Amino acid sequence: MSEKELGKKWDRCLADGAIKLGTGLSLGIVFSVLFFKRRTWPISFGSGTGLGMAYANCQNELRSHYVLHRSEKEQ
Amino acid sequence: MAARILPVVKLATKVTIAGGALYVAYDSGLLGSSEQGSEALEKAKAAIPPAIEEWMKYFGVETQLPTIPKIEFSPVAAWNSGVQWTISSLSEAPTKAAEHTNNGLQYLKDLTK
Repeated sequence: MSEKELGKKWDRCLADGAIKLGTGLSLGIVFSVLFFKRRTWPISFGSGTGLGMAYANCQNELRSHYVLHRSEKEQ
Repeated sequence: MAARILPVVKLATKVTIAGGALYVAYDSGLLGSSEQGSEALEKAKAAIPPAIEEWMKYFGVETQLPTIPKIEFSPVAAWNSGVQWTISSLSEAPTKAAEHTNNGLQYLKDLTK
């Protein structure tokens, strides 16, 4: 992987992390206000879920360079 | 009869709002891969200036918005140069420290003369 490509991947990872953190936070706030009587745990749960999704995405993307994909296997 | 239905209606409203929020988040690709996320970000960035213009017109303020300066800041390039700067200053630190100590001692000697 060239360094430029790696840099772009990291940029995408960070942006994606920020987006998912924000989304998780907002969804957590919505659920906390609507269903759980304004307690704190849905908010932390939502942000944690968002961060976890971003981490998994990042991991898959950074590994995809070394993983053999299905289209190459069928030859 | 209305008093008996009200809790059900409240619950239904809440579920609708929460379900709608989840659907919007899913549909705009916020929960998908990172490419979808950056697409959504680009769309949002492109949609902001027209929205701001509309709001300004609505309030009757026809001022010319200052253009948002394009930030040419790449975190990756900054990180690399940051690492280089740190390591080079670390390697020069002992020499510089010795020099500063010598200068300080010289200054004190000059004082006591």
